[in-house]
Amino acid sequence: MLLLQNISLKRSNIEIFNDINLSLSKGKIISLKGKNGSGKTSLIKIMLNLLEPTFGTIYWKGKNIKKNLYSFYDQVTYVPDKTTSLKNLTVEENIKIWKKISLSDIGNSQITNILKTLKLENYIYKKVNSLSLGETKKLELLRLIIENRKFWILDEPFTNLDTESINIMEQTFDDHRKNDGCIFFSTHQRTEIGITDEIIL
Amino acid sequence: MKFLVNPNRFNSLTDLILKPLMLLSISLMVIGLIFAFFLSPDDYQQGSTVRIMYIHVPSAWLALMTYFIMSLYSIAALAFRIPFGFIVNTAVAPIGAIFTLICIITGSLWGKPMWGTWWVWDARLTSVAILFIIYLIIILINFSFENRLVREKIVAIFVLVGSVNLPIIKFSVDWWNTLHQTASISKLSSPNIDTAMLTPLIIMTLAFIFIGILIAILRIKTEIYIRKQST
Amino acid sequence: MINFLKKLIYFFYREYKLYLSGFHSVLTMITFFFVAIFTFIFSIGPKDEILSLLGVGIMWTLFLLSSTLSLRKYYQEDFENGNLVLLHLRGFSYELICILKTISHFIFVQIPFLIFLPIACILLSISIDKVYYIIISFFLGSIILSCLGSISSSMNLLNNRNYLIGSVIVIVFSIPVIIFSVGLIGQYDNFNSLINILFGILLITFAINPWASGACLKLAIENN
Repeated sequence: MLLLQNISLKRSNIEIFNDINLSLSKGKIISLKGKNGSGKTSLIKIMLNLLEPTFGTIYWKGKNIKKNLYSFYDQVTYVPDKTTSLKNLTVEENIKIWKKISLSDIGNSQITNILKTLKLENYIYKKVNSLSLGETKKLELLRLIIENRKFWILDEPFTNLDTESINIMEQTFDDHRKNDGCIFFSTHQRTEIGITDEIIL
Repeated sequence: MKFLVNPNRFNSLTDLILKPLMLLSISLMVIGLIFAFFLSPDDYQQGSTVRIMYIHVPSAWLALMTYFIMSLYSIAALAFRIPFGFIVNTAVAPIGAIFTLICIITGSLWGKPMWGTWWVWDARLTSVAILFIIYLIIILINFSFENRLVREKIVAIFVLVGSVNLPIIKFSVDWWNTLHQTASISKLSSPNIDTAMLTPLIIMTLAFIFIGILIAILRIKTEIYIRKQST
Repeated sequence: MINFLKKLIYFFYREYKLYLSGFHSVLTMITFFFVAIFTFIFSIGPKDEILSLLGVGIMWTLFLLSSTLSLRKYYQEDFENGNLVLLHLRGFSYELICILKTISHFIFVQIPFLIFLPIACILLSISIDKVYYIIISFFLGSIILSCLGSISSSMNLLNNRNYLIGSVIVIVFSIPVIIFSVGLIGQYDNFNSLINILFGILLITFAINPWASGACLKLAIENN
């Protein structure tokens, strides 16, 4: 579906990575590994067309991505490594706003269930400010479920999470893969997820 | 014309013409000043202060011209992705600021004996003052950003947005009733100015243009050198 | 189409929630405006003739200064916590984000200002029949200020050394607005033609705004 061809990136004549070929399609889990500063986030930004690669092209369903950018954006969920939840609003408001803006048709009961498994149900009416780092990270990852898209692109999804939550994440990843989904994530940790492909920068 | 967009061509060409240009601009400046101070007549109204005009008018033209060139290069840099435009923008902005400052200072020196005041708030004077502030902001933006790639693009966008001011300056004397007189040399064939005064004005204008180009070349060469060093 | 409208509505809902949670900062700006008017009155003396002569100019200057206080709120938070990228991925192009942000800034920051304007008119002893003209010119002028604020704050997203330059940029570009809208108060016979000029400036800035700030947003996101 998404095809990256000969992508390379230079920043002020310093080569960050060179000649990366990659294809994302249904039922794949791809992990991206690399040292600090090896350009993991840059590669993700290039995939999302937020950054122009120095060379190379990206294809979405056989066409150049620039020609149908928004049909690609319509299929993808991106979870950056920052906290994107609005800090002065409550957890419930955050979920509601994001659900409405992404026009997802997911039911409220399903969200409550997930909140229960993630052990966030006591924080629903609390501001994001008062949550701990791990809990905010869980709230970030909840967006994967809320948006309900096929392609998941994640930047460092496992930081600040305890083993229990990581197990839940692995379970979700596996379920998503079985539902014809595709996951691309960058990490520097060892994971037990059934990875089908691995890229090392 | 490749040297206008290609740093290497620019460097090799300007290495050749730098010394002749220097000689030419110095000699033109000397000749022009001799003409302006000794060989041109006093004005029947303005007396000897008319000689200030031989500096005031060329510097005003060059202040506008510099901004015009900057906006052309900004379009080139943003729309046609020619990085040389960014180099020119960074290098040329202080020159334009200095010319505008010269224009304002000589103008107020002339205005005190003629209009009886250093400064009036009429349209031409105000718009030139705004031009000076815009040049200052461009220079300040150049100092404010850490990332060079971002900084130069933002300067280019700012130059383009600020170029709205150019036609206002040019036509302010026609649109509004200003104290500042209208242009004396609007058509080259029959200017409203005597030949004895036109000659020093033209020589001084040429001298200013060549000096401006000279400083611009030096600054652009420095900028190119700095960029090569930093990469 | 309906989906698109839904998205727009919820964008505004989000902005509303954001501004509501930070409404004390808008109140701070309004307080700044009034305190500044007080200091002005104290410094030039409370004579009615002088105040009604200078009043509109003072109001415009302080309005401009206090609206530059809100520039930091414009895009900076959403940029730093990555929400601009997420909104872009949800189908809002950069230009659309700029237009929507400008409108919501106008609604949630400038409108509260406009509501408090008549009180400022009373303080500056401007006669009540002029208030109508003042409100109209401030209404148009504040939309222009929102657009200019959008341009300058998007320019300064990656500027963490010298943020004040954003305020300077807004003030420089708002000079024509000030000239025409203050001049408008002096000449009521000429009211319509000056309003037309102000409206023209509004249209120009509204047209430039998405283009310029969209380019700046793209640049900032690329280089962050």
